[in-house]
Amino acid sequence: MTATADTNATQPARAGVVAEIAERRRADIERELGKRNYEALADAAADRSATPGNGPRPIVERLAAPGLHLIAEVKRRSPSAGAIAADADPVALARAYEAGGASAISVLCEPHWFGGSVEDLRAVRAAVSIPILAKEFVVDERQLPVLRSAGADLVLLLASVLPAKKLARFAELARDLGLEPLVEVHDERELEAALATNARLIGLNNRNLKTLKVDPDHCLKLRPVVPSDRLVVGESGVSEPRTLVGWRAVGLDAALIGEALMRSADPAAAARAFVSAGSVPHDVAAEARQPLVKICGVTDSEGVLAALRAGADAIGLNLVPGTPRALTLDEASYLATKIRTSSPVGKRPRIVAVFADAPASAVEAAIAAFDPDVVQLSGDEPVSAIAATRRPVWKVLHLPAAEEASKTDEPALAARAIEEGKAYLASGAAHLILDTAGGPFPGGTGRQIARRVAAAVAREMPIILAGGLGASNVGEVMLAVPAVGVDVASGVEIRPAAATVSDAAATARAVSAVGSRPRKDPFRVALFAKRARAARFDRPHIKSRPTAVSESLLDPDEAGRWGLDRDFGGRYVPETLIAALDQLEAAWTETRHDPPFWAELRELQFHYGGRPTPIYRADRLGAEMLEAARKLVGERAAAGGTTVPSADLLPDRIHLYLKREDLNHTGAHKLNNALGQVLLTRRLGKSRVIAETGAGMHGVATATACALLDIPCVVHMGIEDIKRQAPNVLRMEALGAEVRPVYGGSGTLKDAVSEALRDWVTNVETSHYCLGSTMGPHPYPMIVRDFQRVIGDEAAAQLLETEGRLPDMAIACVGGGSNALGLLHRFIGEPNVRLAVAEAAGEGLATGHHAAALLGGTPGILHGSRSYMLQDADGQVLEAVSISAGLDYPGIGPQLAALMQAGRLTVSSATDVEAVAAMRQVARTEGILAAVESAHAVAALPDVLARTAVPVDAARKRVAAAPSAVPGSAETAGPLPREAVIVLGLSGRGDKDLAALGSAQSRAALATAPSPASAEHKEFAR
Amino acid sequence: MTARATRSIAVTHGAAVPTPTGTAAPTRSLAGTSETAGARRIAAAFAGAAADGRAALIPYVVAGYPDHEASLAAALAAADAGADLLEIGLPYSDPMADGATLQKATSAAIKAGATLDGSVALIREVAAARPNIPLVPMCYANQIIGGGDGRAVATRLAEAGASGVIVADLTPDEGAAFEVVAREVGLAVVYLIAPTSTPARRVDVARRSGGFLYCVSLVGVTGARTSLPPSVAGLVAAARADSPVPVAVGFGVSKPAHVRMLVEAGADGVIVASALIDALGPDGRNLAALSSLVGELRAATKR
Repeated sequence: MTATADTNATQPARAGVVAEIAERRRADIERELGKRNYEALADAAADRSATPGNGPRPIVERLAAPGLHLIAEVKRRSPSAGAIAADADPVALARAYEAGGASAISVLCEPHWFGGSVEDLRAVRAAVSIPILAKEFVVDERQLPVLRSAGADLVLLLASVLPAKKLARFAELARDLGLEPLVEVHDERELEAALATNARLIGLNNRNLKTLKVDPDHCLKLRPVVPSDRLVVGESGVSEPRTLVGWRAVGLDAALIGEALMRSADPAAAARAFVSAGSVPHDVAAEARQPLVKICGVTDSEGVLAALRAGADAIGLNLVPGTPRALTLDEASYLATKIRTSSPVGKRPRIVAVFADAPASAVEAAIAAFDPDVVQLSGDEPVSAIAATRRPVWKVLHLPAAEEASKTDEPALAARAIEEGKAYLASGAAHLILDTAGGPFPGGTGRQIARRVAAAVAREMPIILAGGLGASNVGEVMLAVPAVGVDVASGVEIRPAAATVSDAAATARAVSAVGSRPRKDPFRVALFAKRARAARFDRPHIKSRPTAVSESLLDPDEAGRWGLDRDFGGRYVPETLIAALDQLEAAWTETRHDPPFWAELRELQFHYGGRPTPIYRADRLGAEMLEAARKLVGERAAAGGTTVPSADLLPDRIHLYLKREDLNHTGAHKLNNALGQVLLTRRLGKSRVIAETGAGMHGVATATACALLDIPCVVHMGIEDIKRQAPNVLRMEALGAEVRPVYGGSGTLKDAVSEALRDWVTNVETSHYCLGSTMGPHPYPMIVRDFQRVIGDEAAAQLLETEGRLPDMAIACVGGGSNALGLLHRFIGEPNVRLAVAEAAGEGLATGHHAAALLGGTPGILHGSRSYMLQDADGQVLEAVSISAGLDYPGIGPQLAALMQAGRLTVSSATDVEAVAAMRQVARTEGILAAVESAHAVAALPDVLARTAVPVDAARKRVAAAPSAVPGSAETAGPLPREAVIVLGLSGRGDKDLAALGSAQSRAALATAPSPASAEHKEFAR
Repeated sequence: MTARATRSIAVTHGAAVPTPTGTAAPTRSLAGTSETAGARRIAAAFAGAAADGRAALIPYVVAGYPDHEASLAAALAAADAGADLLEIGLPYSDPMADGATLQKATSAAIKAGATLDGSVALIREVAAARPNIPLVPMCYANQIIGGGDGRAVATRLAEAGASGVIVADLTPDEGAAFEVVAREVGLAVVYLIAPTSTPARRVDVARRSGGFLYCVSLVGVTGARTSLPPSVAGLVAAARADSPVPVAVGFGVSKPAHVRMLVEAGADGVIVASALIDALGPDGRNLAALSSLVGELRAATKR
C-alpha cells in the first residue's frame, strides 16, 4: 500500500506512469524481437492457431449471455497497490478462478511494474480451458502475434497509450489473428477512439491512469455513452461482490477483477461470490417484463443453434418466395426438425412459418410438412384469413418508417393501426407484429417505425415490434415502446467489415460472401437477446405491456392529479414543505427508472425481506367462500330488485390464491415500502427518518429498515394505538426507534400523520418523512404505490406460471391503499381482471361508526391530497372506527378514488364482527392466522362474488348508463368463468390481533355466526 | 380515452402566472386577488399603519374559543387594544401547521360546539362592531375547497364581512381555481412564504398573494418561541424586495422584542397568535392579559 500513498502524495509526477511503462516496454520488445518482422510472427501465430487445442477460445458469445461475467486477474503487484502477492502461483490461482466460475482469466504480462510475464500466460493457458486475456502494454504490433502464439485469446489495448489510428489498426490486426481486442478507456475522448475501432469489447477503467485514483461509479456514468452492440467490461475498484449488482443492472457485461481476488485466502470462493453477484437473479416479476424474442429469417443450422443458445422464444422460417431468406419447404422442414431436436427440454421456441399473401394451399403444405406452432401472415391478408388458418396466427401490420412519416401524421397512423389491429385480434389473431412498410419483402428493411406511433399502438394491444432493430437500439426501444415482443432478422446477421458502403450494398456483398442467403451471427443473436431482456429487468416502472385504460388511472399528471377528470390527489401542504416535496419529486424522477437502485432494493427484498412471497391456493377456504356466495345470491334473488343475481351465474369452482405478504419479514407488506423509502433517504442525503403508524406495522417496518441501514428513526403513534398495540411499541423500541406518543385529536392514525407532518415541517432540512400508505401530498401516493406494486407484479407472474393466465379477479382490503394498490395496480390495464376492495365497515356502515372512506365518505382534502374521506358538513375530519388499527383511517389514497369514480373498482366492506369471523375461518380452513385487516377482504369476498352473478344484459345496461365506466369492475365485466381464478391479498399476519379474537366482537361473531350478507352491503353497494 | 386523460382542472403547478399588479386590466383575470375589494381594505389598513409610522399589528383569535361569546369579546378586546387587522382562526380538527397551543385551543373550540355557522356569525359580529378593521379568517383547505371550488364558503365569509382568507395548506400551485372564486366574491387570498421557499418561488408566491404576503418566520409549526431565528431579518428583507404587496411576519412571534426586531428588518406587519392564546390563560377568558399584551406589541410596532 505504500505505493498508493506515494502516488497520492506526488500526483502530478505520476501523470507519466503509463507512458513510462509503455516506453520501457518498447525497449523490451526491441531487445526481444530485434528485426523480426510482423508477417513472419503472424504466420507463426496462424500456424500455432491451426494446431489442435491451440486455436482461439471464443469469448464474445459467452459474455453476451445474460448477466455480468467475471474476468479474473492474476497479478503479483501493481503501481497503485504495490506488492499484492509476490510469490503467487498463477496456475493454481487460475484453476481456482475457473472453478469459481470465471469466464476468462486475465494474466499480467508486464514484468517491471506488475511482475508478470508471457511465461505466466503460457502456463495458465495450459492449465485451464477458459479464454485468456493478455494484460499487456501493447506498443508494437509485433506483440500481437507473439501473444497469440503464447496462447492469448484476448488482448488489452490501451486507448491512453495508443493514438487513435494505431489503436484501430492494432484492433484490426488482433481480430485477424483471432485475438479478441479489449480496448480500455477512461474518459469520453478515449472512448471515441475506441468506438472507431472494430473491437467488440470496450473496457471502462474506473482508475484514472494519470492520477491512479479510482471511482467505482465512474463506469456507471460512462456506460450509457457506449453503444449497446459492444460488450462492456468494467475495470478496477471492485472490492465487494455487491458492487457488481449495480454494474449488471446498468448493463455491464463483465467485470475485470484482480486485487480483491488475489488478496482472498480462498480465491475460488471469492470468484464464486463475484460470479453470483453478477448473475441475473431469478425474479418472476422482472422476467414477466421481458419481451418475447423472435429471431426471424434463420437460414441454416448454425442460425438455429445460435437462436437456441440465445434462448429465443420464437424462430421464424421464411417461406416467402423470392426474398433473400426464403427457404424451400424441405429446408424449412429440416430446420424445424433441428429446432425440435436441439431445444432444451421444456424450452422449445415456437416455430413460426412466415408467409406473405400466400395461397391457402401453400400454408396447408407447410402445416403438413413441418407443423409450425404459429403461422405469420406478413402480407395484406384480409381479416378472414385469420380464421381460415389452422394454426395460431401472428399478423403483421405495416407502418411507414420513421423518416417517411411526418410528426403530424403520427396520431392518424397510430389510430389506423389500432383499428386494423383490433379487427385482426377480434378475428382471432394471437399477436400482432408491427413492421416497417415499403420493403420489397417481409422484414429486413433495416428501418424503424416512429417510436411514438409504435408506443401508441403497443399501449392498446399486444405488439411484437420489428423493423430496424439490433443490439444497439433494442434496449432503448424497449423503454419507449410497451411491446410484448421483438422481432429481428437483418440486425443479427453477419456483416461485411467495410463500414463505408451503403447498407444495401453491404448486405449484397455479405450474401455473396457466404453463399446465397444472409446468415445469423451467433454473437449478435446472443447480444440482441441479452439487451432486449435486460432493458426492463431492473426498471419495474417502465411499461412493458398494453394498458388499455385511461392513463389517469395508472399515474398522476405533473401536478400529482389522478382520475378521469384529474381531480384527485395534488399537494395541499404548508408552504414550508413544498421545497422538500419538490426535492423528493426530483429524486423520485431520477430514481424511478434507475436500475442500480432497484437492483439493490431487490437484493434487500430477496435476501433480507423474504421476497418473493408465495401465492398459495386455498381450496378449502375457496369452497367455503363460493358456498357463502351462493347463499347470498339466494337471499338477494329472493329480495328481488333491479338486478337479480342468479346462482347459475356463479362459477362452479374457484381457485382462490392468497398472496402471502404475511410472510414478509416483520409480518406484513409494509416492509416493501419501508425498505425502499429508507434506501431513498440515503439517496436524498438526509440523516433522519420520520414515520407515522397506526397498527404499528409500518412503524415496525420503518424501524427495521432504519436499523438495517443505520439511520435514526422517530415514529409518531396515537396514544390510543399505543395502548391497543403495545407489542409493536416494544418491537420498535427494540429496533432502536423512538416512539413518540400523539395525544392530540382522537389519538389514532390520522393524528399520528398530522404530527408526523408537523415534525417534518420542523425538521424538513434533515429528515425524510417515510409515509406508510398511498396517500398524502404528491409524490407520495405514487412513490408508495411504486414500492408496493411488486405484490401484484409478482402475483401476476406467479399465476401465469401456475394457471397459465391472469386472474379473473383481484381483491384486497383497503385503509389508505398501499396493500390494495400494491396488488391491484398490475391489473388496472387488464380489461378481463375484475378489481375489488374491502373497506372496514366497523360497527356497520349504517351506524356511521366505520372507516369506509369510499362507501361512506365524500370528496375532500386530507393530509395533503384530495380524495374521499370521512367528514362532517363543515369539513371537520371524522374519527374512523374499526377493530383493525391498520384500516382505522378516515381517508383513502387518490388513485383508489380515481378507480372507483371511473367504475374500475368494486367496493365492498366488512364489519368488525365479520372480519373477526373471517379471521377464524381462514385459520380453521387453511392454518393461516391472517391479520384482521386482511380478514376484511376474505369477509367481503362472498359479496363481491355474488355481485358478479348478474346476467350480462343487466351488466351491459349499467355500462351504458355510466359514461365514464371502464370495463372490469365486478358488475360490468359480467359473470366469472365456470372455473374462476381469484387472487386475494393476504397483507399481514395476525399475531398482533390475538386480543381481538378474544374480544367482545369476537364472542359476538361466534354466537351469531353471521353471514356477510348484512343489510348494509346491499344498501351501500353502489 | 386520450382526450379524457389530458383533461385537467385549471391548476398551475409550480409556476405562477405573472402578477397583475401595476399592469393593465386584461391580465388581471389570470391570477392573484390583489384587485379585490377585500384586498383593497387590507391594503388601506397597512397603508394607514405606515402613514402612522408603524408596522401593522395583526392579532389572532380562535373563533369559538373558549366559546362563542368569549371569542367575540377577545376579538373586540384585541381590536381595541391596537389591532390594525384581525386574523380569525376557524377551528379545524386536523391543523397540521399548528403547534400545541393552537391545537389545544381549536380542539377545545370544536368540543365547545364551534361550527362554520358560528365562525361566520362571529365574523359578522366583529365586522359590524369594528367596521374599520379588516378581518382575515385563517383555515385549512378542506374547510373551504374540500368539497368543490370553495364558492359556498367564500361567499358566506365575504358576505359576513371578511376581507381575505389565509389557507394554511393552500399554495398558489393549487390555488388558481379558488382565486377565480375569490375574485368573484371580493376576497383576497393570502399566500405564505417560508424560509424553505426558493428565491424564484418566493417571487411567484408574492405576486400571487392578495392583500398581503404572509411570511413564515421559521421552519416549523405555529407556537410562541423565546427567540426567532436570526435568519428572519434577511428573509423579511428579501420578501419585501420581491413582494408587490405588504409583508407580514408570523409564527413564533410572542414578545415586543420580536416585534421590534421584525419592524427593524422592514416588516410591514406582524402576526401574533399563540402568545395571545397563552395570554388568555387556561380558561381562555383573561381579556385583561390579552389587551395588555396587544397594547405592548402595538407599542413595539413603532418605527
